[in-house]
This record gives sequence, C-alpha cells and structure tokens, in this order.
Amino acid sequence: MKDLVFALPILLPLLTAIVALLAGRRRWRRWLIGLSATAQLGVALVLAHGAYGQPPQVLGLGGWAAPYGIVLVIDLLAAIMLALGALTALAAILFGYAELPPEDENPLRLPLIQFLVTGINLAFCTADLFNLFVAFEVMLIASYALLTLEADDWDIKQAFPYLALNLVGSTLFLVAAGLTYGMFGSLNFAQIAERADALAGTPQLTLLALLFLTVFGMKAGVFPLFYWLPNSYPILPSPVAALYAGMLTKVGVYVLLRIFGQVLPPDLSLPHLLMAWLAAATMIFGVLGAVSRNFIRGILSFHILSQIGYMVLAIGLFTPYALAAAIFYIIHHIVVKSTLFLVGGTVVVLNRTDDLEKTGRLWLATPVLGVIFLLQALSLAGIPPLSGFWGKYMIIVEGLRQQEWVLVFCALLAGVLTLFSMLKIWNGAFWAAAAKEGVHTEERRWRPMAAVAGGMTVISLGIGFGAEFFLGVAHEAARQLLDRPAYIEFLLRGGG
Amino acid sequence: MKTGDSYIFRAVGSFLFFVINVFAVYLLLRGHNLPGGGFIGGLGSALSLIMLSLAFGVREAQKVLRVDPTRLAAIGLLLAVVTGMLPLVVGEPFLRHFHWKLEELPLLGTLEVGTPLIFDIGIFLVVVGVTAKMIFVLFRSISGLTALNPSEWRRYAADLEEPVEREHSRSSSELETEDEP
Amino acid sequence: MMWETAILVGLMFGGACFLILQASFVRILFGFILLSNAANLFLLAMSGRPDGKSAPVLQGNSAPAVDPLPQALILTAIVIGFGVIAYMVILLYRTFLDQGTANACELFDPRRERPKEDAS
Repeated sequence: MKDLVFALPILLPLLTAIVALLAGRRRWRRWLIGLSATAQLGVALVLAHGAYGQPPQVLGLGGWAAPYGIVLVIDLLAAIMLALGALTALAAILFGYAELPPEDENPLRLPLIQFLVTGINLAFCTADLFNLFVAFEVMLIASYALLTLEADDWDIKQAFPYLALNLVGSTLFLVAAGLTYGMFGSLNFAQIAERADALAGTPQLTLLALLFLTVFGMKAGVFPLFYWLPNSYPILPSPVAALYAGMLTKVGVYVLLRIFGQVLPPDLSLPHLLMAWLAAATMIFGVLGAVSRNFIRGILSFHILSQIGYMVLAIGLFTPYALAAAIFYIIHHIVVKSTLFLVGGTVVVLNRTDDLEKTGRLWLATPVLGVIFLLQALSLAGIPPLSGFWGKYMIIVEGLRQQEWVLVFCALLAGVLTLFSMLKIWNGAFWAAAAKEGVHTEERRWRPMAAVAGGMTVISLGIGFGAEFFLGVAHEAARQLLDRPAYIEFLLRGGG
Repeated sequence: MKTGDSYIFRAVGSFLFFVINVFAVYLLLRGHNLPGGGFIGGLGSALSLIMLSLAFGVREAQKVLRVDPTRLAAIGLLLAVVTGMLPLVVGEPFLRHFHWKLEELPLLGTLEVGTPLIFDIGIFLVVVGVTAKMIFVLFRSISGLTALNPSEWRRYAADLEEPVEREHSRSSSELETEDEP
Repeated sequence: MMWETAILVGLMFGGACFLILQASFVRILFGFILLSNAANLFLLAMSGRPDGKSAPVLQGNSAPAVDPLPQALILTAIVIGFGVIAYMVILLYRTFLDQGTANACELFDPRRERPKEDAS
C-alpha cells in the first residue's frame, strides 16, 4: 500500500481526467474534480511531511530497480512542488467554478486541467531524463489544447508562437537526451550524476550543460527565448491563466534546479555564470515589458519573466544558500503570481475589461479586493515583511557575498520597476475616478471569486510571516538536492 | 475532395476493411515479444477507417465506428491505467505485470496469457480513438461539414460557442446540414 | 556509417531551420515535421554502429543486437511528434479560416487591427 500513496500524485489527476472526460457535461463532474483536487493537495502535504529530513522515496515502475527501470523519486523539493501545484490547481478550479456556470464553461476544460496537472506532477517526480521529456510533452500538449480551447478568432494566432517555440524546445530536449545517452549510456539521473563526475571539467560536459540551459531556459522563459509567453497567457480564461502563471514556467525552473543542482557536477563555472547574466537580462527586460503594457493580464504576464529572472539568478549563483533562496522564491512566487491573476480575473468581471484606461473606481466599490491586490503586489515587489521580501533579500545577500555588483544592481532595479508597474495597475484599476463601463458590483459572482483570491492571500501572508519555517524547509530541500553522493548511493545501491 | 464516387474502390474497400482489421488484431495479439502490439495494431485499424472515409465518405466511416472516438480513447486509457494500478492493490509495484501459462486447452493448445495483453488492448483503443478523431475532423473539414457532429457538439462545446465554420462560410447553406443520429 | 548519419542529421536540421523561418504556413509545417525527424535520426545514431548486428528481437539466438533503448525512445518521440503535428495542422487550418491568411508575416503584422464587431 505504501507504493499506492507515492503513485497517487500521478494516478489521481490522470484517473480524474479520464472519468471527467467520460462524464461529458454532467453536473456531478464539478464535485468530483473539486474533491479530487482537494485530495491531491492532501496527498502532496502528506508526502512533504514524510520527506522532511528523510531519504527520498523511490518507486520503481513494474518492480524494476533504479538503473534499469523507470523510477519515480519523491524528495522534499519534489514534494514541495507537488503541494504548490495541487494548491494552485485547486485555487484555479474553484475560481473557475465561481466565474462561470457549468453550462457556459467548455466541458473539456476541467479534464484538460487534470491532464496538465498529471504532466506537471510527473515532471516533478521523475528521476529519468527521457521520462522527463514525456512528462513535459504531456504537460505541453494539454497546455496547447487549453490555450486554444476557449480563445476567440482573433486571439487564436497567439497560440502559434507558443506552439512553435515549445516545439523547438522539445526537439532540442530530445537531442540533449540523445547526447546524454551517448555520453553516459544511461538516462537515469543518479547514474548520469555518478558518471558525470568522471567527466567533470571537460568541454563535452560544459556543452551538454549549455544545451540543458537552452532547453529548460526556454521552458522557463529566460531571456532571450521568452517570446512565447507574454502574448499567449493573456488569451487564456483567467482561472487557467492563473494555473499557467503559477506552474508552467516554474516546472522549467524546477528542472534547472534538479539538473544543475543534482545531476550535473557542481563545478560548471561557465554555464553558471551565463545563467546568472541571462537571469539579470530576463529580470530587466521582463519588467520593462511589464511597464510598457497597458492591460492587467499583459503586465502580469511580463512580470512572470522578471520573477523567473530572480529564481534563475539564484540558481546561477549556485551556493547552498542561493539554492535555498531559489526554492523559497519559488514557494513565494507560485502563490503570489497566481493570486494576482485571479485578482485580474475578478477585475475583468467587475469592469468588463482589464484595459487600464477603461477600468477604475474599484477601491470605492470593493475595498476588500483592493487590499488583496495591494498585499500581493507589494509582496511581489518585495516590501517587508511580506513573502517576496525574504526571497529577494537572500538572493541579494548572496550576490553581495560573491561581489557581483552589477547583478545585485539589476535585481534591485527590477524590484523598483516592479513596484512602479504594480502602482500602474493600482492607479488604473483601483484608484482612477472614472470607469468607462461603471463597476458591475451587481454581478454576484465576484464575491466567491474574490474569496478564492483572499484564501490564497492568507496563504501568502502565512509564507511571509512564517518565513522562518519555510526558510527551514527550503534549506533542507537545498541540502537534500546538493547531497549528490547520498542520492547516488541511495538510488543505485540502497533503496528502490 | 470528392469521395465516394468510385464503384471499384467501394467494392474493394468494404472487403478490405475486414482483412485490415483482422491483421490489426493479429498484430495486437502477437505483440508481447514479437514486433507488433497495441500501438501498431491500433494504427492498422485506424488505417482501415481512413480507407472507408476515402471510399464511402466520412459520415459512413463514423457510422461504422459507432462510438465517439474521444470516448473510445478515454476508455482505452482507463483500461491501461487500471491494469497498471491493480498490482498496487495486492501490494506489488505500479505497472507490474503477471503471466500465466495455460496448458492443454481445448482447440487452442498451450496458451500464454498475461496482464500486458489487457494493457495493450487499452493502448489499441487509445490509438484507434485518437487517430480516428484526427481523421474525422480533417475529413469533415475538407468535405464542408462542421468539425464536430451534433452529438459531439452537445458533449464537448459550451452553450455560448458557435461552430467556427458557420461563422466563416459566406452563407450557411454552404454547410451541409446533418441529421441527428 | 557514423559520418553519413552526422551529415544527414546536419542537413535535416539546416533544412528544417530554413523552412521554419519562411512565412508560409505550409512551409513552416514541413519545417517542423523535418525538425522532429532530424531529432529522431540523431537519437537513432546513439544506438551505435549497426554493422553486422541484428534487430533487437530475441528469438532464442544470441546474435549481437543493436542497443534497443534509443529505438524505444524514438518510438515514443514519434508518437508524441505525431500528436503535436496533428495539433499544429488543425491550429494552422483554424487560423487560416479565422484570419483569412496563410502567411505568418501578414498574420502578425502590427497594422492589422482587431475587427470592431469582435470587441464586445
């Protein structure tokens, strides 16, 4: 029965998706999926609790042990990501229930969200490069379908750059997997890690690391390969956009953490340096793009990039402290960013648009939504004691310690510009006197929508005020990640 | 493209349909340790549907398949996942398979069966369903029908939506209307 | 054998890049098909020299067989590529219906404006 629990993060969303697909448009579907999403969150929290301070849990598919069979490995980092994914999916699903009555929602949306979650969870759990490719493809194919499912005639063209760049990324991933197999004769993370140590410092390994950086940097939205993201996310329905904004790029960041922290040897100074500088460029260009946009979801989409920059910068600095900062930043960012998208979706319902020239007067109409937005926006900008402050603080401290003055300056500048663009939303949507269409507070549905966003805000405040606990978790996850000899020993000879 | 206007193709096609499907099932059954298996068998079976669509038109092919291809794929996926999950219930790892050797059966002689066959049948259904879905949508698009037929439309579209083709055809009479099945 | 494969893979990647950078939808589509096939061929080359080895089908004989793992990977990659390309065909066809153009430059021309009746 032990194995059943570890397989649940993948099996539960998969089974839910199939049953929901077969159920067509029945009413009980919403209950089923809501319950399943809650159960997924519960399972992920149980797994995270079990993974703290313990060796990773290994699940060999078909009973085959590590180097020969496909294994799923759940360590603390994977369990944290599973919990965050389940939380975001639950919030997005509940927000979707509040936003639309069942008959107005496309019946394929909920099954596709569950397929997407299956792919994301598989990407977190897998310990095998090719299985990771499959997980990415499951996730991407579901995301392609969701992107165009409810897009209108004009917006659908934005799906094309998304599809094209991700397809190029997948092809490069396949090439990288082939190259890895040619170099190491294995695709298992532990076995690659063991054999890569012998090649440490050789140009082949640097080349492979650069290829991985390109592939996963593209998936994470790192400069200069981020073009697929900022134009495609605004065409999504708001609950799905919140899920995408929270999880999809973070899968890329997670894999960067996993590959560079655990699989490849730690002395790859060139790729790490390149990663840090690309991250700085991502931060600056992302936030400048955000400043240039004039509608809420556009601003928020560019902000994803800018925030990805902080996480990747932390990975590029590459010390245990910096990786802990990256993990803490991921925890903070997923919650805050998806909440901001939910707030954006509520604004669309209240003002009929999210164009900042036409919105306004929301502070008078709904102070509660204003407070939610303000807390999350200030957290994103990094105002203490909100959750965003701690992650940024750790990254900047680490940058100062390594005397990377330019990188630190970029990070601080991006923070200031973030605050500026958030104030732009605040002025346009909440403070401006005139709303062209008026505020439609008579639409009852904004209350449950704001309630979901409020729930996420409470969690984000909890991360900010309980930072000590979450920092402890992040440090422990980074320690497990960087303890490569124990991982190799455990996976190849001990567990399984 | 005009389909369904060749008498020879229709006559040969209706006969070949069975031959192709028998071969597809043969590929499915021998698949465990010889070339073949659910995937390739499913593709073979889907090929027979392409041939029917070319020979008789896509609506006839849909009538032959009877079920909604999306549901077929979903049922196949369910079958495969449940087969993988059953070992978990008896305390074995996920996707562990079992084999039995049945000796001296009437008519068949010695037979080796195992759970991979059920898994493969699931894959077969998934492949047939997914490929049939693609074929039907593409064939319907080029023969001036809406991409989804009315029953699929009821199942997979929200109340607010309109078929793309209806918005874009210059007059709605260009689209063939379709009776409810 | 390795040199020929390497040159072929290079040519395929080059041709795919050329086609993807064209404006016409059909050429872009062929570019992506070629790209995924080039990656598959690259994977196949990872199973080593095939000289004198048999296909990895075990039938009691113990003749040396080529490494079957890359072939399993390619099979998976082909299936995934098949699905994605099918999606791309439908997406491009739908874009062509909706926007009335099959040219990517025209499609993303910033001077094109959203039709007014859609703005509601």
